[in-house]
Amino acid sequence: MRVQVKLFAFFRDGRFIKEDKELPEGTTAGTVVDDLDIDREEIGVLMINSRHCKFETVLQEGDIYAIFPVIGGG
Amino acid sequence: MAESNRDKILQNIKQRSRDGLLSLADALAIAGQWNCSLRDVEHIALDHAITPSRFQRNSLSCQEQLRLFLSRVAIIGCGGLGGRTAELLARLGIGHLILTDPDVFSESNLNRQIFCSTESLGCNKVDIVDRELQKINPALETTLHISTFTTGSIDTADIVIDALDSTEARITLSKLCRKQQIPMVHGAVKEWYGQAGIDQASNNLISTLYPQKTAPSSPPRVLPMSVALIASIQAAEATKSLLGHNSSLTGSWLETDLLHCEFDSIKIPHDI
Repeated sequence: MRVQVKLFAFFRDGRFIKEDKELPEGTTAGTVVDDLDIDREEIGVLMINSRHCKFETVLQEGDIYAIFPVIGGG
Repeated sequence: MAESNRDKILQNIKQRSRDGLLSLADALAIAGQWNCSLRDVEHIALDHAITPSRFQRNSLSCQEQLRLFLSRVAIIGCGGLGGRTAELLARLGIGHLILTDPDVFSESNLNRQIFCSTESLGCNKVDIVDRELQKINPALETTLHISTFTTGSIDTADIVIDALDSTEARITLSKLCRKQQIPMVHGAVKEWYGQAGIDQASNNLISTLYPQKTAPSSPPRVLPMSVALIASIQAAEATKSLLGHNSSLTGSWLETDLLHCEFDSIKIPHDI
């Protein structure tokens, strides 16, 4: 299945801003995070098609999956 | 101030003003003559559609300038975001700033904190920010809290600026602001990146952005351009709120990326 993954802020460093990915059926939001070598502790918001999702949420064909880090500096 | 004096001061202001503008030198001379504060003189002037000259280029209406003069903004954290926001709001003509920060300036602040200089190292941030703001806008009233924030830091404010650098503190401040029904203009930065939005009763901004009470603690890596950008957005959003302008940031937050020059407005999900 095809899923568009969008990364924000420093998650883009050394990765990408937006990428269409071919993923096996049943892939979860958390698996994509792990495959991108992103530390789960650094995650702020996970959204699929502009709605919250969890690491366990299973992605579907055509989903737009956005991954935001916690940004805390002031 | 006696009503008769107020009338005489107004007469004086009208005599000295030109094209609806009152210079700082004239305002100070009037304050000296009538033994009142510069702030009193400027308040009377603005009440009667005469604008202090230093706000001329704001190009706001006199009513808008008066509304800002009568506004109170609480700035929580006076480092990178807080110092910049304070500077912008003082220049703009906000009448009263409530500044809260427990810390002193240290050398690692020099890269991004506008009022941190080699001369202010070791000094309380709140004291230095106040001193420098008075040089920019001597009619500015300030209330200073050299401490972590409490209800007293925000309860008289029309709007609060979140310029903190800790997730836990942000969540606490958001709860406090919600309890007091005061909108909070959120901003945060890291490296080339930043985010800003307005946390208020109609949305779940802070609980969306910070689902966990703590974040991984590492020394903040922050570039000064990101700080100046996000502080400008915070100052603009606070000003718009005070002047009654609508903002898309009540239903969204802004993600900024100066490295790739990308700005994204993200709708706050309502499903938590």
